[in-house]
Order: sequence, then C-alpha cells, then structure tokens
Amino acid sequence: MIRTFLTLAFLATWCLVPGAFAAGDAPALEKQQWPFQGLRGSYSKDQLLRGYTVFTNACMACHSIKYVGHRDMMRAGFTEAEVQALAKNLDMSIDQKLLTAQDDQTAIETFGKVPPDLSLINKARAGLADYTFALLMGYSEDPELIHHSFPKGLPEGAHYNKAFPGHAIAMPNPLTGPDLVTYHDGTPATVEQMAKDVTVFLQWTAEPERVERQHMGLYVLIYLVLFTLLAYVTKRAIWKDVKGH
Amino acid sequence: MAHTPNHPVENDIRNTYQWLEDRLPIISFLNNSVGSNFMAPRNLSYMWNFGSLAGIALVLQILTGIFLAMHYKPDVHMAFDSIQHIMRDVNWGWLIRNLHMVGASFFFIVVYIHMARGLYYGSYKSPREVLWGLGVVIFLLMMATGFLGYVLPWGQMSYWGATVITNLLSVIPFVGPDIVVWLWGGYAVGDPTLNRFFVLHFVLPFVIIAVVVLHIWALHMHGSNNPKGISLTKQTDYIPFHPYYTIKDIFGLGVYLIPFTFMVFYAPEYLGHTDNNIPANPLVTPAHIVPEWYFLPFYAILRAIPIKELGVLAMFGSILILFVLPWLDKHPVRSARFRPLYRPLYMLFLANFILLGWCGMMPAEGIYVRIAQAATAIYFGFFALLPVLSKYEKAKPVPTSI
Repeated sequence: MIRTFLTLAFLATWCLVPGAFAAGDAPALEKQQWPFQGLRGSYSKDQLLRGYTVFTNACMACHSIKYVGHRDMMRAGFTEAEVQALAKNLDMSIDQKLLTAQDDQTAIETFGKVPPDLSLINKARAGLADYTFALLMGYSEDPELIHHSFPKGLPEGAHYNKAFPGHAIAMPNPLTGPDLVTYHDGTPATVEQMAKDVTVFLQWTAEPERVERQHMGLYVLIYLVLFTLLAYVTKRAIWKDVKGH
Repeated sequence: MAHTPNHPVENDIRNTYQWLEDRLPIISFLNNSVGSNFMAPRNLSYMWNFGSLAGIALVLQILTGIFLAMHYKPDVHMAFDSIQHIMRDVNWGWLIRNLHMVGASFFFIVVYIHMARGLYYGSYKSPREVLWGLGVVIFLLMMATGFLGYVLPWGQMSYWGATVITNLLSVIPFVGPDIVVWLWGGYAVGDPTLNRFFVLHFVLPFVIIAVVVLHIWALHMHGSNNPKGISLTKQTDYIPFHPYYTIKDIFGLGVYLIPFTFMVFYAPEYLGHTDNNIPANPLVTPAHIVPEWYFLPFYAILRAIPIKELGVLAMFGSILILFVLPWLDKHPVRSARFRPLYRPLYMLFLANFILLGWCGMMPAEGIYVRIAQAATAIYFGFFALLPVLSKYEKAKPVPTSI
C-alpha cells in the first residue's frame, strides 16, 4: 500500500505541476539564473539601486508601485539618509509610495488602457521574473517576424513583443537603447543589464520578505530534521517490545 | 457517567487529580479517547498516521486563520490591499499567511491520503459506515471552506472562480437563478458576496471541528480498522494508543512538517495561480479559469459532460456517491490485500483520479475533453462494478489473527 502510494504521489507531482499547461497559449520563456533564487539567495543592494534607477527613469512615467515607498527600501538594507536622498531627487517624502504622476485619463487616451501597477508584477504573470525579463527584451522591429504573427499588420497603437501572449502589446519599448540611465556604481547600462536590474528590483517589490523567509526557512528545516530524527529514535525505543516490530 | 449518590466525594483539593475527576472527569475522558486507555490494533501501518495528521492540519488552519482575520478586510475595495498589508507590514504576517495558504493544500493532501487508505482497507464497511459517512461530511465542509477561502484575497482567480462555481447552482430547476442571486446578495459576485464568504469561511471550520468530534466518537465505538481488515478478538492484538501511537504520530508529524515547511519558506505560491496576484476585475476574464488543485478532478468531471445540468449532477454525484459506498461494496472481506480483483481496480481508480486532476488543469477543448470523458466513465464505472464484485469476487484466504 505504502509503495503504491509513493508511486502515485510521484506520478501526481509530475502530472499536476502548475503552469505546465500554460505553454499552449504563451510563448516559451528562457529560464534565467536569478540571484534571489535558491536556499541562500539574496538581493544585492547595488543591484536593487540600479533596478530602482531604471524603474524611476524608464517606468515610473506611466507605472506605479503602490505598495512600496522609499522608507520600505530600508528593509533591503538602505539607510534612512540614503532613502531620504533618493526621495529628495524625486521631490517625494520617504513615506509616499512610488506612484506615477500620469493620471488614468491621459493613460487611456495615450495607450488605450491604464498601465498596471508593478508592485506584484513578478508574481502575477506565468513565468514570474523570467517573464518580466523576457518581455523587456522581447521587442522587435523585424518586419518578417511581425508579418508572421500579423499578416495584415500590427493593430493600431500596438507594439510587437516576442514574450507577450498574442505578441501585440500596448506598451512601447521602455528600454530603447543603452545608457538610458547612469548607474551609481559605474556598471555599463546595456539594455540587457537594465532589464536584469529592473526585474530584480521588481522581484524585491513583489516579495520584500523573500530573503528573511529563505534564511529563516533553513534554520526551521534543520530544527525539524533533528526533531524528526529524535522522534524516530524515541519511537523505536518505545516500540521495541511490540510483537512483530 | 451517571451520578451515584452513595459515592463518597473527595473534598481535599490537594489531591487535585481526584478532586477534578469527581467534578469533571475530563482527564480520564481524554485518556480513554487518545490516551493509554484507548486500545488500538498493534499492526497499524504508517497509513494510519493521516487521521491525527489531518486533525493537526485543521488546528493549524484555525490558528493561522484567526490571526489573519485580525488584519484582513472583507471589502471589495480593501481586501486585496489588506492581504498586501499582511504580507508587508504586519509582523510575521507573511509567515502566517504562507502557513495558511500552504496549510490548506497540505490539509487536502493529508485528507486525500486518509480517504484513499480507508478505501483500500475497507474501513468504510460495517460496522464503520457512519464513521465513513461523517468523514465524507468533513470532506464536503472542507471543500466549501477551501472554496470560500480562495475568494477572500479578491484576486482575478478568486473573483472568477467564485463566479463560475456559484453559477453552477443556476441549473437547479425553477429556483436556480433566484438561489444564485440570493447567494450573491446582488446580481453579480460583489461586496455582499465577499463579506458573507468571509463570515462563512470563518464559521465553517468550527462546524468541521464539531463533525470531527462525532467522527472520533464513531471511531471509538469499534476502534480502528487495520491493514488485515479483520476484526480482532485477542487482548494481545491491541496496544494502548499512548505511548505507542502518540510517539508514532509525533514522528509522522515531523516527516510531514519537513516538506510542508519547505513549501512555506521556499515555494509558498507554487500551488497557487499567478492570476490571483492581479486584483479582481469584473471586466477582464482570465484566459483559463482554474480552481485550486484539490478541486481539479471534480472540475474535470463537471466539464467532461457537455450538458451543463448533467455535468453539475455528475460533479456533485461523484462526491455524494461516497456516502453509499458501504452499501455498494458489500464484499465480506475488508482489506484489498485479500481481494484479487478489487485491488487492481482500486489502483486503476486512484491513477484515474490523478488523470482527472490533470484533465481539470487543461483547457476544456479537443482531446482533453475526450480523455476527461473516459476518465469520468472509469470513475463511475468503479462504483458500478463494486456490487458485482461483492457477489462474485473470490477472496484469497484471510488470516484469522494478526
């Protein structure tokens, strides 16, 4: 019975992997190595600041991160003086959230819709962080590629994107070329670097607790393994006089 | 239990145990229920760990749920934000929510295994029909609670899942549409729906506790079944629940908590759906509306049948049929170990159940519908064959003792 169960559990895990079914209508995404993944994954302060720079310069004209303000960045290791300085650059107080100045009406007139809030974007699309990165890297002007998906031409106001489901996205390419921003640490601002950095920043806004979670989890798991071993030894000791065991 | 007037009552409170025992014999009650005075078969396998594990999972859900309810706001304009408030601002809020979210999935895993164990060893058979039936009631209440809970974060899947599932009731003849409006508290899923779903989600677990008490009461009438499925007669076939099964359950709990904890800390949203991180929007329908994974097999049955009314009937029927299982399978031998036909049929049934779950995840089109239809037929075919097996299946020799 137990052996049967293990087999079936294995089968079930394989069959019921969530997201496996999404492949049908969404383009396949390339898996990236992200620094926040894994048991000891973390965010580097420098990369977060680079991603913040890209967000405030290239995204915030239209997109908000309504659950995060400058003060919240202290959770990622920024000092109060640092976040004060960052906020001052944007004429904001550190308690204000990162809201775009663009109003909904203007957005609808320009793009046909209100750009989504980006706080949770890395958790809200199939493919997670890989999707955000692929989307930022997915713009193309290649007429052949566009013609393949849209034989009658792109819909009015839409832009071609390899990663976007349906390939016609309202958002124009935000990272049109290198050096849109100047990084504080002198890292060359290539398009790929900017896309990586802002994706990591958006991962942090989606899961600011992630590093604490992963570090704590390791200790909890070590504790539980020891607890379980002790429980097993105790079980053996108590059961040793039971017939058939 | 009955009051005997001649019994001398101890008045010395320093003899605390006896003093309390004379007034409220709760300690001996617990001892008789889950302590050293409750005798259990000595040959129970690890498959018998899942009952107490389910109880612990339920308690964990209630505890974490109470703390979440202290910070959650059941209002369509505030629900989604209040979840983010819990995840970001409340001390340890992320931990409590992850425990609750992953806990729900793991509760279902445990209960599915618990049910599958009962199905294999014939634990539903006489004299344990009521014990089994109460278990099915708990399962139904769990499904209702799980469904209601998934609506509360008010993401896209919350909203559209609620819309699809509540709409199923519109197939009830004559009064269906009115019932749906009554359930919603309006003409669509909205603020009154969310508010009452929160109330019901809070209340139902306590109803589950009550039915669990009945379930355990019924269990104590005839004790646990065992892997051989035979009724035990000898005193030596039994060992006291405490310390033997308490320590075994504690070890089992440790084994359970390791993957559970791993999910809580490293993949809390793995079993969820990304669309539920998008706030509910009545104007945008998601490409695929998928329920929580633990509903998928039943969702597949619903969608396998092209006529909506029949699909709804089949879906509810696929669960309700469990109530009559003790009367469908009247074979005198309980354990599948000694039933050469029932055993492979059971394996097929379980594998088919997983296949149904897979179908529920796929879009309801083309080949997937065909597979789901075949799997639905096998699901009900299993139950249809049971009366036949009861009559004609020749069992292997059954041992007389363990």
